[in-house]
Amino acid sequence: MRAPLPLLLGLLVFATAPAVADPVVVVSARGDVQRLDREDVVNIFLGRYRRFPDGSTARPVDQPEFSPTKAAFYRKLVNKDLNEINAYWARLVFSGKTPPPARVASAEEVATFILATPGGIGYLARDQVDARFRIVLELPR
Amino acid sequence: MNAAGRVGDLLHPRGLLPRSTVVILLAWMLAGLAAVLYVAHATQQRAHAAAQTRLNELLDTVESTVQVACFAKDATLAGELAQGLLNSSDVLAVAISADRGVLARAARAGAPVAADATAIRRDIRSPFDAGKVVGDIVLIPDPWVLQTRVVEEIRFAVLQLSWQLAMVAFAVAVVMLLFVVRPIKAMSDRLHRMDPAAGDRLPIPGRHADTEIGQLAGDINELADRLVTALAAERELRIQREIDERKYHALFDNAESGIFLIDDQGALLSWNRAFPRLFGLAPEHAEETLRDARLEALPWLHPARAAGFPASVAEAGAPLARDFAVRLAGGAERWLNVAINPVGDKLLQGVVHDVSHLKEAEARARRQMVTDTLTGLANRAGLEERMRVLMHAGAGAFALLLVDLDQFKRVNEGMGLPAGDEVLKATTARLSNCVKRDDTVARLSADRFGVILDRVADAGAAESIATRILTELRHPYFIDGAPLHLRASIGITLYPRDGGDLPTLLRQAELAMDSAKATGGDACARFDTHLAEAAERRRRLERDLRDAIRERRFELFYQPIIDLRDNRLAGAEALIRWCHPERGLVPPDEFIPLAEKTGLIVDIGLLALDAACQQLSAWNRAGLSHSLSLNVSGCQIPDGLTPEQLLAACHRHGVPPGRLALEITEGVMLRDVEKSLRWLRTVHDMGFRVYLDDFGTGYSSLSYLRLFPVDTLKVDKSFVRDLRADGHGHTLAAAIIAMGDSLGLDVVAEGVESSAQLNALRDLGCRYVQGFLFSRPVPAGDFAAAATRVECYLAEQARAQAGLF
Repeated sequence: MRAPLPLLLGLLVFATAPAVADPVVVVSARGDVQRLDREDVVNIFLGRYRRFPDGSTARPVDQPEFSPTKAAFYRKLVNKDLNEINAYWARLVFSGKTPPPARVASAEEVATFILATPGGIGYLARDQVDARFRIVLELPR
Repeated sequence: MNAAGRVGDLLHPRGLLPRSTVVILLAWMLAGLAAVLYVAHATQQRAHAAAQTRLNELLDTVESTVQVACFAKDATLAGELAQGLLNSSDVLAVAISADRGVLARAARAGAPVAADATAIRRDIRSPFDAGKVVGDIVLIPDPWVLQTRVVEEIRFAVLQLSWQLAMVAFAVAVVMLLFVVRPIKAMSDRLHRMDPAAGDRLPIPGRHADTEIGQLAGDINELADRLVTALAAERELRIQREIDERKYHALFDNAESGIFLIDDQGALLSWNRAFPRLFGLAPEHAEETLRDARLEALPWLHPARAAGFPASVAEAGAPLARDFAVRLAGGAERWLNVAINPVGDKLLQGVVHDVSHLKEAEARARRQMVTDTLTGLANRAGLEERMRVLMHAGAGAFALLLVDLDQFKRVNEGMGLPAGDEVLKATTARLSNCVKRDDTVARLSADRFGVILDRVADAGAAESIATRILTELRHPYFIDGAPLHLRASIGITLYPRDGGDLPTLLRQAELAMDSAKATGGDACARFDTHLAEAAERRRRLERDLRDAIRERRFELFYQPIIDLRDNRLAGAEALIRWCHPERGLVPPDEFIPLAEKTGLIVDIGLLALDAACQQLSAWNRAGLSHSLSLNVSGCQIPDGLTPEQLLAACHRHGVPPGRLALEITEGVMLRDVEKSLRWLRTVHDMGFRVYLDDFGTGYSSLSYLRLFPVDTLKVDKSFVRDLRADGHGHTLAAAIIAMGDSLGLDVVAEGVESSAQLNALRDLGCRYVQGFLFSRPVPAGDFAAAATRVECYLAEQARAQAGLF
């Protein structure tokens, strides 16, 4: 087969284009946190251990409910759908000791929360990331 | 009874039923125990497994929540969960831990908590990462719950086993009772009352015909049958034995023979009724006499001989029998034969027979054996025994006389046997009168008597007695009133002077007697050594003669016979010679008499006949027609040389019988005239010529010449010798020649030695001559030469006579 390379690249762009852009975990660029590994991110977002590696408290924030970014994030992070994540939290909230990540109404509020809250950490679609944020973990899949 | 006994009784009760019950119970206990143990174990295993399963299921139910609690380290949630788990009755305690820290712990009140082998621990993994362990949960089950369940299960199992086994035991007991115990008991009761001899037998218990019980009853009945049969046989045997014993007892008691038992020392142990009777003991005294007695105590004639008998039997180890004489109470004697037989165990069994009558018969037979029945004198055996007794007794000398009646045979032949017997009896009486009482007179054979003169050592005394006997016997015997004169010859020999042993003495006496007889009889002769020597010579000669016959050492010599009328050789007389290896040629007169006496003449005659025929055959082949005369002894006629044998010999050699002449003497006619005559006629009819030899020398009866078929007379050389004297002999020769001439017989003159005799014979008209004048007898090989000489002589004679005329 002798298909022209530009066509193939175009097809590839076309295929990925409708999908949500990979979510990336970001913190305020002013913060000290430079880099997190996947486990750190899981501990923080699922309430197990809400501290950065330097010991400072982490305050996670979720994208609004039904946000495709949220679903993509959890799928990529722990391979769970949102129902499962919700069921998980439903058991924990019963004791009240471990609260889920903060909830905001929109994606803009997520950015605001991250920037405004000390120790704030959240996830964004890659195209929403600008200089105010620092990507601490990329979720390639 | 002690405790061990009681336990033993308990374990081994009497009776099948209790015993089988005990066994069943024991077996049941063991089986039950094993079953319960197994049930307990199995139940425990099962209950434990079931508890584990349940607890695991419980854990499965709560696991996702525990994962959350552990992941989030949420103690509250964990505590809730723990409390919730305790609600399960199986759970005794719960502990939930996360990352080295206990999140929650809960336990049932009042129960001791220990993590043992039964505790279930499960790692709790992160709900988001299955590979990451975030804590664990430990569940401790409640052991009491498990225990209770197990106990319940066992109780149920035991209950169930119990009633099942009880049923089985009952069933077995009933079956035993019905099928085994009762029939056996019934059989046992029946056996106690049963009388097998009366024919009782065990009935087969009902419905047991084909079971072991039935078989047992059958076996018992069979045994009873065999027992009864054996008993019956035994009884029969015993009865038979009793009968036998009675029989043997009767045999023993009633036997005519005495039967006894002694030990090896000769002590009497047992005896029958006949035993004392044979020894002449009264029956009523026998018991006390014989009790504890010994064998030698019996009234033997020679007790010492009888005493040693048992010992010798014991020593020999074999039965022995001997005759013993016993002296009976009255003084009479009896002979008993005692046979003793060792029967072992140092015992000897004996049998006694009365053999007196046998002994008597024996003695009688012995007497008869040595006695001559006709005269009552001792016979030959008696005489010999008497001599033996005298010789053994060393009594000294005796004389043996052998008396033989001369010509006694004529009495028997001429007057009959009874007359002969009378003569013998009379002779016996006369002999007995001539001797002393101690002397012995015996009759040895027909007319021969032997006399032993005891203590006569002197020849003169013996001879005087012999003379007296001769005188006595010369008296005439009167037979039927007619006087008969007889003479006797007596031979005398003396013991021990002449001979030391019996055969020698008898032979010597016989030789002496023969010599007495040879002198003409009516004489006595004493034996001397010459007689023995002569007898020895005869014996040796006879032996040599037998050898000679076997080795054919005889040869015929031939003396030519000349025919004077035709002036030629007519033939020859065959004369036998014995070629003795040491003595050379032996003339016939030295051996023919002995050959005649011993009968050897028959064999010699046959040899001579064969040789004569051979010679005739040779002459025949040579073209010579000579005749040959052969001497035949009177002893050969009629059976020693049968006409058939003569003819056969001639045929064998191809000789015509007419060429063979048989020379017989007048003696032939003195024998059995009838038989001799028949023989002569037969051979004459066959063609053989018959010469009468030695004519005129014996008791010739001229009538024989008429009676007998004689062809030729031979003039004896004694008559020819006398011819020269021109006397008596001349006359006799002339008479014989004239008689032959008148009877138509040829005449041969023998012993012609001189031409004068020849001329005289020629003048007398004798046709045939033989003698030294012509030729001696010559062997066959020289005969041709002799014949030539004879013919020369004859030719010379003829020329001389021709010259004369």
